[in-house]
Amino acid sequence: MLELKKLSKTYKNGVKALNGINLTISQGEFVYIIGSTGSGKSTLIKIIDGEEVPTSGRCEVIGINVGKLKHSKVPIYRRNIGVVFQDFRLLEAKTVFENIAFALEVINAPKSLIRKRVREVMNLVGLDDKGHSFPNQLSGGQQQRVAIARALANRPMLLIADEPTGNLDPEMSNDIMTLLEKINREEQTTILMVTHDRELVNRHLKRTITLDSGHIKSDVLGGGY
Amino acid sequence: MANFFRRVTRHLKEGFWGVIRHGSMSISSISAVTITLLIIGVFLIFSINVDNITKDIEESVAIVAIVSFDYEEQTELDRIETSAKAISGVNDVIFSSKDQEWEYYQNLYETEETAAIFGPFQDVNPMHHAFQIEIENGDKIEEIATGIEAIDGIDSVEYGGASAVMLVSALNSIRYGGFVLVMAVSALAIFLIANTIKLTIYARHKEIGIMRNVGATNGYIRSPFVIEGMIIGFIGAIIPVTLCVFGYIYVYDLLGGVFLTEMFVMIPPHPFVLLLVAILSGTGILVGLVGSFFSVTKYLRWKR
Ligand SMILES: Nc1ncnc2c1ncn2[C@@H]1O[C@H](COP(=O)(O)OP(=O)(O)OP(=O)(O)O)[C@@H](O)[C@H]1O
Ligand SMILES: [Mg+2]
Repeated sequence: MLELKKLSKTYKNGVKALNGINLTISQGEFVYIIGSTGSGKSTLIKIIDGEEVPTSGRCEVIGINVGKLKHSKVPIYRRNIGVVFQDFRLLEAKTVFENIAFALEVINAPKSLIRKRVREVMNLVGLDDKGHSFPNQLSGGQQQRVAIARALANRPMLLIADEPTGNLDPEMSNDIMTLLEKINREEQTTILMVTHDRELVNRHLKRTITLDSGHIKSDVLGGGY
Repeated sequence: MANFFRRVTRHLKEGFWGVIRHGSMSISSISAVTITLLIIGVFLIFSINVDNITKDIEESVAIVAIVSFDYEEQTELDRIETSAKAISGVNDVIFSSKDQEWEYYQNLYETEETAAIFGPFQDVNPMHHAFQIEIENGDKIEEIATGIEAIDGIDSVEYGGASAVMLVSALNSIRYGGFVLVMAVSALAIFLIANTIKLTIYARHKEIGIMRNVGATNGYIRSPFVIEGMIIGFIGAIIPVTLCVFGYIYVYDLLGGVFLTEMFVMIPPHPFVLLLVAILSGTGILVGLVGSFFSVTKYLRWKR
Protein backbone atom coordinates (compact mmCIF):
# COMPACT_ATOMS: atom_id res chain seq x y z
CA MET A 1 0.00 0.00 0.00
CA LEU A 2 3.02 2.26 0.44
CA GLU A 3 6.03 2.16 -1.79
CA LEU A 4 9.05 4.47 -1.72
CA LYS A 5 11.62 4.20 -4.49
CA LYS A 6 14.98 5.97 -4.36
CA LEU A 7 13.27 8.76 -2.52
CA SER A 8 15.42 11.82 -1.81
CA LYS A 9 14.62 15.20 -0.37
CA THR A 10 16.89 18.20 -0.31
CA TYR A 11 15.41 21.33 1.26
CA LYS A 12 15.83 24.73 -0.35
CA ASN A 13 18.53 25.62 2.17
CA GLY A 14 20.62 22.68 0.95
CA VAL A 15 19.91 20.28 3.82
CA LYS A 16 19.74 16.70 2.54
CA ALA A 17 17.00 15.33 4.78
CA LEU A 18 16.41 12.07 2.89
CA ASN A 19 18.81 10.19 0.68
CA GLY A 20 17.67 7.34 -1.57
CA ILE A 21 15.02 5.72 0.59
CA ASN A 22 13.58 2.39 -0.65
CA LEU A 23 10.70 1.05 1.40
CA THR A 24 7.60 -1.09 0.97
CA ILE A 25 4.82 -1.36 3.53
CA SER A 26 1.82 -3.65 3.05
CA GLN A 27 -1.79 -3.19 4.08
CA GLY A 28 -2.34 -3.88 7.77
CA GLU A 29 1.28 -3.53 8.90
CA PHE A 30 2.34 -1.70 12.06
CA VAL A 31 5.70 -0.05 11.56
CA TYR A 32 7.92 2.07 13.81
CA ILE A 33 10.25 4.65 12.40
CA ILE A 34 13.02 5.55 14.79
CA GLY A 35 16.23 7.50 14.54
CA SER A 36 18.06 10.34 16.18
CA THR A 37 16.84 13.89 15.95
CA GLY A 38 17.27 15.39 12.49
CA SER A 39 17.56 12.00 10.84
CA GLY A 40 14.64 12.78 8.49
CA LYS A 41 11.65 11.10 10.14
CA SER A 42 9.31 14.07 9.95
CA THR A 43 10.44 14.81 6.42
CA LEU A 44 9.51 11.27 5.40
CA ILE A 45 6.05 11.72 6.89
CA LYS A 46 5.58 15.07 5.19
CA ILE A 47 6.35 13.49 1.86
CA ILE A 48 3.88 10.67 2.44
CA ASP A 49 1.30 13.27 3.48
CA GLY A 50 1.98 15.26 0.30
CA GLU A 51 3.11 18.33 2.21
CA GLU A 52 6.62 18.17 0.82
CA VAL A 53 7.50 17.13 -2.73
CA PRO A 54 10.38 14.67 -3.22
CA THR A 55 13.44 16.12 -4.93
CA SER A 56 13.86 12.80 -6.74
CA GLY A 57 12.43 9.31 -6.52
CA ARG A 58 8.87 8.26 -6.05
CA CYS A 59 6.35 7.99 -3.24
CA GLU A 60 3.31 5.88 -4.00
CA VAL A 61 0.45 5.40 -1.54
CA ILE A 62 -2.61 3.28 -2.38
CA GLY A 63 -1.58 3.56 -6.02
CA ILE A 64 -1.29 7.35 -5.98
CA ASN A 65 1.96 9.06 -6.91
CA VAL A 66 1.85 11.56 -4.07
CA GLY A 67 4.66 13.82 -5.23
CA LYS A 68 2.96 14.38 -8.57
CA LEU A 69 -0.44 15.36 -7.17
CA LYS A 70 -1.83 18.72 -8.22
CA HIS A 71 -2.08 21.26 -5.41
CA SER A 72 -5.85 21.11 -5.52
CA LYS A 73 -5.92 17.28 -5.36
CA VAL A 74 -3.70 16.93 -2.29
CA PRO A 75 -6.53 17.40 0.26
CA ILE A 76 -8.65 14.81 -1.52
CA TYR A 77 -5.80 12.31 -1.37
CA ARG A 78 -5.45 13.06 2.35
CA ARG A 79 -8.96 11.81 3.03
CA ASN A 80 -7.52 8.32 2.72
CA ILE A 81 -4.94 8.82 5.41
CA GLY A 82 -4.93 10.15 8.93
CA VAL A 83 -1.95 12.07 10.23
CA VAL A 84 -1.05 12.96 13.81
CA PHE A 85 1.45 15.78 13.57
CA GLN A 86 4.31 16.39 15.93
CA ASP A 87 2.86 19.86 16.60
CA PHE A 88 -0.80 18.65 16.75
CA ARG A 89 -2.17 21.28 14.32
CA LEU A 90 -5.51 21.79 15.99
CA LEU A 91 -7.80 24.67 15.03
CA GLU A 92 -7.50 27.11 17.93
CA ALA A 93 -10.89 28.71 17.31
CA LYS A 94 -12.76 25.43 17.42
CA THR A 95 -13.64 23.22 20.34
CA VAL A 96 -12.36 19.67 20.65
CA PHE A 97 -15.63 18.34 19.31
CA GLU A 98 -15.60 20.73 16.36
CA ASN A 99 -11.96 19.98 15.58
CA ILE A 100 -12.71 16.30 15.22
CA ALA A 101 -16.01 16.93 13.45
CA PHE A 102 -14.27 19.15 10.92
CA ALA A 103 -12.42 16.19 9.38
CA LEU A 104 -15.84 14.68 8.65
CA GLU A 105 -17.54 17.89 7.60
CA VAL A 106 -15.04 18.41 4.81
CA ILE A 107 -16.15 15.14 3.24
CA ASN A 108 -19.71 16.40 3.64
CA ALA A 109 -20.89 13.69 6.02
CA PRO A 110 -24.39 14.12 7.44
CA LYS A 111 -24.66 15.76 10.83
CA SER A 112 -26.09 12.78 12.71
CA LEU A 113 -23.30 10.52 11.47
CA ILE A 114 -20.68 13.10 12.41
CA ARG A 115 -22.02 13.43 15.94
CA LYS A 116 -22.02 9.68 16.43
CA ARG A 117 -18.53 9.14 15.06
CA VAL A 118 -16.99 12.05 16.97
CA ARG A 119 -18.39 10.70 20.27
CA GLU A 120 -16.99 7.30 19.34
CA VAL A 121 -13.44 8.46 18.72
CA MET A 122 -13.49 10.82 21.69
CA ASN A 123 -14.42 7.86 23.83
CA LEU A 124 -11.71 5.80 22.14
CA VAL A 125 -8.96 8.25 23.17
CA GLY A 126 -10.53 8.89 26.58
CA LEU A 127 -11.65 12.50 26.12
CA ASP A 128 -15.40 12.10 26.65
CA ASP A 129 -15.69 15.11 28.91
CA LYS A 130 -13.57 17.55 26.90
CA GLY A 131 -15.82 18.12 23.92
CA HIS A 132 -16.50 21.76 24.71
CA SER A 133 -12.95 22.72 25.63
CA PHE A 134 -10.74 24.70 23.30
CA PRO A 135 -7.26 23.35 22.47
CA ASN A 136 -5.48 26.00 24.54
CA GLN A 137 -7.42 24.82 27.61
CA LEU A 138 -5.93 21.34 27.31
CA SER A 139 -2.61 19.83 28.39
CA GLY A 140 -0.12 18.72 25.74
CA GLY A 141 -1.09 15.11 26.22
CA GLN A 142 -4.77 15.89 25.86
CA GLN A 143 -4.18 17.89 22.68
CA GLN A 144 -2.23 14.96 21.32
CA ARG A 145 -5.18 12.69 21.94
CA VAL A 146 -7.48 15.12 20.17
CA ALA A 147 -5.12 14.99 17.20
CA ILE A 148 -5.23 11.19 17.25
CA ALA A 149 -9.02 11.18 17.48
CA ARG A 150 -9.25 13.54 14.51
CA ALA A 151 -6.87 11.40 12.45
CA LEU A 152 -9.01 8.34 13.17
CA ALA A 153 -12.36 9.99 12.58
CA ASN A 154 -12.87 9.05 8.94
CA ARG A 155 -11.45 5.54 9.31
CA PRO A 156 -8.28 6.08 7.26
CA MET A 157 -6.55 3.19 5.49
CA LEU A 158 -3.21 4.54 6.65
CA LEU A 159 -2.56 6.22 9.97
CA ILE A 160 0.66 8.15 10.30
CA ALA A 161 1.69 9.41 13.69
CA ASP A 162 4.70 11.62 14.37
CA GLU A 163 5.59 10.93 18.01
CA PRO A 164 2.04 10.39 19.21
CA THR A 165 3.26 9.58 22.67
CA GLY A 166 5.86 12.32 22.88
CA ASN A 167 3.97 14.34 25.48
CA LEU A 168 2.37 11.54 27.43
CA ASP A 169 3.28 9.89 30.68
CA PRO A 170 4.23 6.17 30.43
CA GLU A 171 0.81 5.03 31.50
CA MET A 172 -0.98 7.17 28.94
CA SER A 173 1.56 6.16 26.29
CA ASN A 174 0.72 2.59 26.98
CA ASP A 175 -2.99 3.28 26.61
CA ILE A 176 -2.39 5.00 23.29
CA MET A 177 -0.29 2.08 22.08
CA THR A 178 -3.00 -0.35 23.09
CA LEU A 179 -5.47 1.84 21.21
CA LEU A 180 -3.33 1.94 18.06
CA GLU A 181 -2.82 -1.81 18.18
CA LYS A 182 -6.54 -2.27 18.49
CA ILE A 183 -7.22 -0.06 15.48
CA ASN A 184 -4.52 -1.88 13.54
CA ARG A 185 -5.98 -5.23 14.41
CA GLU A 186 -9.68 -4.51 14.17
CA GLU A 187 -9.87 -2.06 11.28
CA GLN A 188 -6.89 -3.38 9.33
CA THR A 189 -5.52 0.17 9.39
CA THR A 190 -1.89 0.38 8.36
CA ILE A 191 0.05 2.29 11.00
CA LEU A 192 3.27 4.19 10.60
CA MET A 193 4.56 5.57 13.86
CA VAL A 194 7.55 7.78 14.52
CA THR A 195 8.87 7.53 18.03
CA HIS A 196 11.77 8.21 20.31
CA ASP A 197 10.39 6.04 23.08
CA ARG A 198 12.84 3.13 23.51
CA GLU A 199 10.88 1.50 26.24
CA LEU A 200 7.68 1.51 24.21
CA VAL A 201 9.36 0.09 21.12
CA ASN A 202 10.93 -2.66 23.19
CA ARG A 203 7.72 -3.52 24.99
CA HIS A 204 5.47 -3.65 21.91
CA LEU A 205 7.72 -5.27 19.35
CA LYS A 206 6.96 -4.45 15.69
CA ARG A 207 8.72 -3.99 12.40
CA THR A 208 11.21 -1.22 13.11
CA ILE A 209 12.89 1.04 10.56
CA THR A 210 15.86 3.04 11.73
CA LEU A 211 16.75 6.24 9.91
CA ASP A 212 20.19 7.74 10.10
CA SER A 213 20.94 11.06 8.38
CA GLY A 214 18.51 10.38 5.58
CA HIS A 215 19.37 6.71 5.03
CA ILE A 216 17.64 3.55 6.17
CA LYS A 217 20.14 2.09 8.60
CA SER A 218 18.12 -0.98 9.47
CA ASP A 219 14.69 -2.49 8.81
CA VAL A 220 13.96 -5.31 11.23
CA LEU A 221 10.77 -7.29 11.67
CA GLY A 222 9.85 -7.37 15.36
CA GLY A 223 12.97 -5.34 15.95
CA GLY A 224 13.15 -3.25 19.10
CA TYR A 225 15.47 -0.29 19.62
CA MET B 1 -29.20 18.29 -3.72
CA ALA B 2 -29.37 17.49 0.00
CA ASN B 3 -25.59 17.36 -0.05
CA PHE B 4 -25.32 20.74 -1.69
CA PHE B 5 -27.75 22.27 0.78
CA ARG B 6 -25.87 20.76 3.69
CA ARG B 7 -22.64 22.20 2.44
CA VAL B 8 -24.06 25.67 1.88
CA THR B 9 -25.59 25.69 5.35
CA ARG B 10 -22.24 24.69 6.82
CA HIS B 11 -20.40 27.47 4.99
CA LEU B 12 -22.96 30.06 6.04
CA LYS B 13 -22.75 28.94 9.63
CA GLU B 14 -18.94 28.92 9.54
CA GLY B 15 -18.93 32.37 7.94
CA PHE B 16 -21.18 33.88 10.62
CA TRP B 17 -19.22 32.22 13.39
CA GLY B 18 -16.00 33.41 11.83
CA VAL B 19 -17.10 37.03 12.11
CA ILE B 20 -17.98 36.57 15.77
CA ARG B 21 -15.03 34.39 16.78
CA HIS B 22 -12.46 36.68 15.24
CA GLY B 23 -14.20 39.68 16.77
CA SER B 24 -11.34 42.16 16.94
CA MET B 25 -10.15 41.34 13.43
CA SER B 26 -13.70 41.62 12.14
CA ILE B 27 -14.06 45.01 13.80
CA SER B 28 -10.92 46.35 12.16
CA SER B 29 -12.08 45.14 8.74
CA ILE B 30 -15.58 46.52 9.31
CA SER B 31 -14.11 49.90 10.32
CA ALA B 32 -12.04 50.01 7.16
CA VAL B 33 -15.16 49.34 5.10
CA THR B 34 -17.19 51.91 7.04
CA ILE B 35 -14.69 54.72 6.65
CA THR B 36 -14.03 54.14 2.99
CA LEU B 37 -17.69 53.73 2.08
CA LEU B 38 -18.46 56.98 3.89
CA ILE B 39 -15.88 58.77 1.78
CA ILE B 40 -17.10 57.10 -1.39
CA GLY B 41 -20.70 57.93 -0.47
CA VAL B 42 -20.04 61.63 0.03
CA PHE B 43 -18.09 61.92 -3.21
CA LEU B 44 -20.72 59.92 -5.03
CA ILE B 45 -23.58 62.15 -3.88
CA PHE B 46 -21.59 65.21 -4.87
CA SER B 47 -20.52 64.04 -8.31
CA ILE B 48 -23.85 62.50 -9.32
CA ASN B 49 -25.52 65.80 -8.43
CA VAL B 50 -22.97 67.82 -10.37
CA ASP B 51 -23.45 65.48 -13.29
CA ASN B 52 -27.18 65.98 -13.16
CA ILE B 53 -26.96 69.75 -12.84
CA THR B 54 -24.56 69.91 -15.77
CA LYS B 55 -26.92 67.92 -17.94
CA ASP B 56 -29.86 70.14 -16.94
CA ILE B 57 -28.03 73.30 -17.81
CA GLU B 58 -26.65 71.85 -21.02
CA GLU B 59 -30.14 70.96 -22.11
CA SER B 60 -31.34 74.48 -21.47
CA VAL B 61 -28.51 75.92 -23.51
CA ALA B 62 -30.15 76.01 -26.94
CA ILE B 63 -29.42 78.20 -29.95
CA VAL B 64 -32.12 80.22 -31.64
CA ALA B 65 -31.41 81.11 -35.27
CA ILE B 66 -33.39 84.04 -36.68
CA VAL B 67 -34.29 83.87 -40.36
CA SER B 68 -33.82 87.01 -42.41
CA PHE B 69 -37.00 88.57 -43.90
CA ASP B 70 -35.62 88.05 -47.40
CA TYR B 71 -35.52 84.27 -47.06
CA GLU B 72 -39.03 83.35 -45.99
CA GLU B 73 -39.96 81.11 -48.91
CA GLN B 74 -40.49 77.44 -48.14
CA THR B 75 -37.59 76.27 -50.34
CA GLU B 76 -35.23 78.63 -48.56
CA LEU B 77 -36.49 77.47 -45.17
CA ASP B 78 -36.00 73.84 -46.16
CA ARG B 79 -32.49 74.58 -47.35
CA ILE B 80 -31.61 76.37 -44.10
CA GLU B 81 -33.01 73.50 -42.05
CA THR B 82 -31.01 70.91 -43.99
CA SER B 83 -27.79 72.93 -43.70
CA ALA B 84 -28.27 73.40 -39.98
CA LYS B 85 -28.90 69.71 -39.44
CA ALA B 86 -25.69 68.90 -41.30
CA ILE B 87 -23.55 70.74 -38.76
CA SER B 88 -21.88 68.30 -36.39
CA GLY B 89 -23.02 68.49 -32.78
CA VAL B 90 -26.56 69.49 -33.79
CA ASN B 91 -29.15 67.10 -32.42
CA ASP B 92 -32.30 68.54 -33.86
CA VAL B 93 -33.60 71.58 -35.69
CA ILE B 94 -37.14 72.72 -34.93
CA PHE B 95 -38.87 75.30 -37.09
CA SER B 96 -40.86 77.97 -35.35
CA SER B 97 -42.92 80.21 -37.63
CA LYS B 98 -43.15 83.94 -37.10
CA ASP B 99 -46.76 83.53 -35.97
CA GLN B 100 -45.74 81.04 -33.31
CA GLU B 101 -42.95 83.35 -32.23
CA TRP B 102 -45.33 86.29 -31.99
CA GLU B 103 -47.81 84.30 -29.97
CA TYR B 104 -45.08 83.02 -27.70
CA TYR B 105 -43.75 86.52 -27.23
CA GLN B 106 -47.17 87.89 -26.32
CA ASN B 107 -47.86 85.03 -23.95
CA LEU B 108 -44.60 85.73 -22.25
CA TYR B 109 -46.08 88.90 -20.81
CA GLU B 110 -49.71 87.95 -20.77
CA THR B 111 -51.65 90.10 -18.40
CA GLU B 112 -54.75 92.24 -18.86
CA GLU B 113 -52.65 95.27 -19.70
CA THR B 114 -50.30 93.67 -22.20
CA ALA B 115 -53.24 92.12 -23.98
CA ALA B 116 -54.67 95.58 -24.26
CA ILE B 117 -51.38 96.96 -25.54
CA PHE B 118 -50.71 94.21 -28.10
CA GLY B 119 -54.31 93.89 -29.13
CA PRO B 120 -54.34 96.56 -31.84
CA PHE B 121 -51.09 95.26 -33.39
CA GLN B 122 -52.26 91.66 -33.75
CA ASP B 123 -51.88 91.83 -37.52
CA VAL B 124 -48.57 93.60 -37.76
CA ASN B 125 -46.33 90.76 -36.75
CA PRO B 126 -42.81 92.11 -36.20
CA MET B 127 -41.28 88.67 -35.61
CA HIS B 128 -39.00 86.61 -37.85
CA HIS B 129 -39.26 82.95 -38.64
CA ALA B 130 -36.84 81.10 -36.36
CA PHE B 131 -35.16 77.74 -35.84
CA GLN B 132 -34.48 76.23 -32.47
CA ILE B 133 -31.24 74.31 -32.61
CA GLU B 134 -30.81 71.56 -30.03
CA ILE B 135 -27.22 70.61 -29.46
CA GLU B 136 -25.56 67.51 -28.11
CA ASN B 137 -23.66 69.26 -25.35
CA GLY B 138 -22.58 72.70 -24.29
CA ASP B 139 -18.94 72.21 -25.15
CA LYS B 140 -19.25 73.16 -28.81
CA ILE B 141 -21.98 75.78 -28.51
CA GLU B 142 -19.84 78.65 -29.77
CA GLU B 143 -18.55 76.73 -32.75
CA ILE B 144 -22.04 75.57 -33.73
CA ALA B 145 -23.49 79.05 -33.35
CA THR B 146 -20.86 80.44 -35.69
CA GLY B 147 -21.56 77.68 -38.16
CA ILE B 148 -25.27 78.38 -38.17
CA GLU B 149 -24.83 82.11 -38.47
CA ALA B 150 -22.79 81.48 -41.60
CA ILE B 151 -25.75 79.78 -43.34
CA ASP B 152 -27.14 81.95 -46.09
CA GLY B 153 -30.41 83.50 -44.93
CA ILE B 154 -29.74 83.51 -41.20
CA ASP B 155 -30.00 86.99 -39.83
CA SER B 156 -28.57 86.32 -36.42
CA VAL B 157 -28.24 83.66 -33.74
CA GLU B 158 -29.00 83.94 -30.05
CA TYR B 159 -27.82 81.75 -27.26
CA GLY B 160 -26.99 81.93 -23.59
CA GLY B 161 -23.77 83.68 -24.47
CA ALA B 162 -20.24 83.33 -23.19
CA SER B 163 -21.28 83.05 -19.54
CA ALA B 164 -23.50 80.04 -20.22
CA VAL B 165 -20.72 78.38 -22.14
CA MET B 166 -18.26 79.06 -19.37
CA LEU B 167 -20.63 77.69 -16.76
CA VAL B 168 -21.16 74.54 -18.76
CA SER B 169 -17.46 74.02 -19.25
CA ALA B 170 -16.75 74.71 -15.58
CA LEU B 171 -19.38 72.20 -14.55
CA ASN B 172 -17.97 69.73 -17.01
CA SER B 173 -14.53 70.03 -15.44
CA ILE B 174 -16.03 69.54 -11.98
CA ARG B 175 -18.00 66.60 -13.28
CA TYR B 176 -15.04 64.83 -14.82
CA GLY B 177 -12.83 65.76 -11.89
CA GLY B 178 -15.48 64.39 -9.56
CA PHE B 179 -15.67 61.08 -11.34
CA VAL B 180 -11.91 60.73 -11.47
CA LEU B 181 -11.87 61.47 -7.76
CA VAL B 182 -14.59 58.92 -7.03
CA MET B 183 -12.68 56.32 -9.00
CA ALA B 184 -9.41 57.18 -7.26
CA VAL B 185 -11.00 57.19 -3.81
CA SER B 186 -12.77 53.92 -4.56
CA ALA B 187 -9.57 52.29 -5.78
CA LEU B 188 -7.76 53.49 -2.67
CA ALA B 189 -10.61 52.33 -0.47
CA ILE B 190 -10.77 48.93 -2.04
CA PHE B 191 -7.02 48.59 -1.65
CA LEU B 192 -7.29 49.57 2.02
CA ILE B 193 -10.08 47.10 2.70
CA ALA B 194 -8.40 44.29 0.78
CA ASN B 195 -5.21 44.93 2.72
CA THR B 196 -6.99 44.86 6.07
CA ILE B 197 -8.68 41.62 5.11
CA LYS B 198 -5.35 40.23 3.98
CA LEU B 199 -3.83 41.01 7.37
CA THR B 200 -6.72 39.45 9.24
CA ILE B 201 -6.51 36.37 7.07
CA TYR B 202 -2.74 36.21 7.46
CA ALA B 203 -3.33 35.79 11.16
CA ARG B 204 -5.23 32.65 10.18
CA HIS B 205 -2.92 31.15 7.57
CA LYS B 206 -2.10 28.36 9.99
CA GLU B 207 -5.79 27.58 10.14
CA ILE B 208 -5.91 27.38 6.36
CA GLY B 209 -2.98 24.95 6.34
CA ILE B 210 -4.66 22.75 8.93
CA MET B 211 -7.87 22.65 6.91
CA ARG B 212 -5.90 21.29 3.98
CA ASN B 213 -4.27 18.79 6.31
CA VAL B 214 -7.57 17.24 7.26
CA GLY B 215 -8.72 17.00 3.66
CA ALA B 216 -10.63 20.22 2.98
CA THR B 217 -10.49 21.25 -0.68
CA ASN B 218 -9.53 24.78 -1.62
CA GLY B 219 -13.11 25.65 -2.51
CA TYR B 220 -14.33 24.32 0.81
CA ILE B 221 -11.76 26.38 2.71
CA ARG B 222 -12.47 29.51 0.72
CA SER B 223 -16.23 29.54 1.07
CA PRO B 224 -16.57 30.47 4.76
CA PHE B 225 -13.85 33.10 4.42
CA VAL B 226 -15.61 34.61 1.43
CA ILE B 227 -18.95 34.58 3.25
CA GLU B 228 -17.22 36.15 6.22
CA GLY B 229 -15.85 38.85 3.93
CA MET B 230 -19.28 39.53 2.49
CA ILE B 231 -20.83 39.77 5.95
CA ILE B 232 -18.09 42.16 7.01
CA GLY B 233 -18.67 44.23 3.88
CA PHE B 234 -22.39 44.30 4.55
CA ILE B 235 -22.04 45.25 8.21
CA GLY B 236 -19.47 47.86 7.27
CA ALA B 237 -21.94 49.39 4.83
CA ILE B 238 -24.72 49.89 7.38
CA ILE B 239 -23.43 53.13 8.92
CA PRO B 240 -22.37 54.79 5.63
CA VAL B 241 -25.66 53.85 3.98
CA THR B 242 -27.70 55.21 6.88
CA LEU B 243 -25.70 58.41 7.12
CA CYS B 244 -25.72 59.04 3.37
CA VAL B 245 -29.43 58.36 2.92
CA PHE B 246 -30.69 60.36 5.88
CA GLY B 247 -27.98 62.98 5.45
CA TYR B 248 -28.99 63.55 1.86
CA ILE B 249 -32.70 63.73 2.66
CA TYR B 250 -31.93 66.18 5.47
CA VAL B 251 -29.70 68.41 3.35
CA TYR B 252 -32.16 68.31 0.48
CA ASP B 253 -34.98 69.51 2.72
CA LEU B 254 -32.74 72.05 4.40
CA LEU B 255 -31.69 73.62 1.10
CA GLY B 256 -35.12 73.31 -0.44
CA GLY B 257 -33.86 71.11 -3.25
CA VAL B 258 -31.46 73.60 -4.76
CA PHE B 259 -27.79 74.15 -4.24
CA LEU B 260 -26.62 77.80 -3.90
CA THR B 261 -28.84 79.13 -6.69
CA GLU B 262 -32.14 78.15 -8.27
CA MET B 263 -30.15 77.04 -11.30
CA PHE B 264 -28.53 74.14 -9.44
CA VAL B 265 -31.41 71.77 -8.84
CA MET B 266 -30.55 68.81 -6.61
CA ILE B 267 -31.68 65.30 -7.47
CA PRO B 268 -34.87 64.49 -5.50
CA PRO B 269 -34.07 61.97 -2.71
CA HIS B 270 -36.56 59.43 -4.04
CA PRO B 271 -35.55 57.19 -5.68
CA PHE B 272 -31.99 58.56 -5.68
CA VAL B 273 -31.29 57.25 -2.15
CA LEU B 274 -32.15 53.75 -3.30
CA LEU B 275 -29.35 54.01 -5.83
CA LEU B 276 -27.04 55.08 -3.00
CA VAL B 277 -28.10 52.10 -0.88
CA ALA B 278 -27.50 49.74 -3.79
CA ILE B 279 -24.12 51.18 -4.77
CA LEU B 280 -22.73 51.47 -1.24
CA SER B 281 -23.88 48.13 0.12
CA GLY B 282 -23.04 46.47 -3.19
CA THR B 283 -19.53 47.91 -3.09
CA GLY B 284 -19.08 46.83 0.54
CA ILE B 285 -20.21 43.27 -0.11
CA LEU B 286 -18.29 42.97 -3.36
CA VAL B 287 -15.08 44.30 -1.89
CA GLY B 288 -15.41 41.95 1.09
CA LEU B 289 -15.97 39.06 -1.27
CA VAL B 290 -13.12 39.87 -3.65
CA GLY B 291 -10.72 40.87 -0.88
CA SER B 292 -11.18 37.67 1.08
CA PHE B 293 -11.26 35.49 -2.02
CA PHE B 294 -7.85 36.68 -3.17
CA SER B 295 -6.34 36.68 0.31
CA VAL B 296 -7.37 33.10 1.02
CA THR B 297 -6.25 32.01 -2.42
CA LYS B 298 -2.87 33.55 -1.74
CA TYR B 299 -2.41 31.71 1.55
CA LEU B 300 -3.77 28.49 0.10
CA ARG B 301 -0.86 28.49 -2.31
CA TRP B 302 1.58 28.82 0.53
CA LYS B 303 1.01 25.32 1.79
CA ARG B 304 0.74 22.13 -0.11
N1 LIG C 1 11.28 23.04 6.15
C1 LIG C 1 12.59 22.75 6.25
N2 LIG C 1 13.48 23.54 5.60
C2 LIG C 1 14.79 23.26 5.68
N3 LIG C 1 15.31 22.25 6.37
C3 LIG C 1 14.49 21.45 7.04
C4 LIG C 1 13.08 21.67 7.02
N4 LIG C 1 12.49 20.70 7.77
C5 LIG C 1 13.48 19.95 8.24
N5 LIG C 1 14.69 20.38 7.81
C6 LIG C 1 15.98 19.76 8.10
O1 LIG C 1 15.96 18.45 7.60
C7 LIG C 1 16.58 17.55 8.50
C8 LIG C 1 15.59 16.46 8.89
O2 LIG C 1 14.57 17.06 9.65
P1 LIG C 1 13.34 16.23 10.22
O3 LIG C 1 12.37 17.20 10.80
O4 LIG C 1 12.84 15.34 9.16
O5 LIG C 1 14.01 15.41 11.39
P2 LIG C 1 13.34 14.42 12.46
O6 LIG C 1 13.95 13.10 12.24
O7 LIG C 1 11.87 14.51 12.41
O8 LIG C 1 13.85 15.06 13.82
P3 LIG C 1 13.10 15.09 15.25
O9 LIG C 1 13.32 13.76 15.85
O10 LIG C 1 13.81 16.17 15.99
O11 LIG C 1 11.68 15.43 14.99
C9 LIG C 1 17.04 18.38 9.67
O12 LIG C 1 18.41 18.67 9.48
C10 LIG C 1 16.25 19.65 9.58
O13 LIG C 1 16.99 20.73 10.05
MG1 LIG D 1 10.34 15.17 13.64
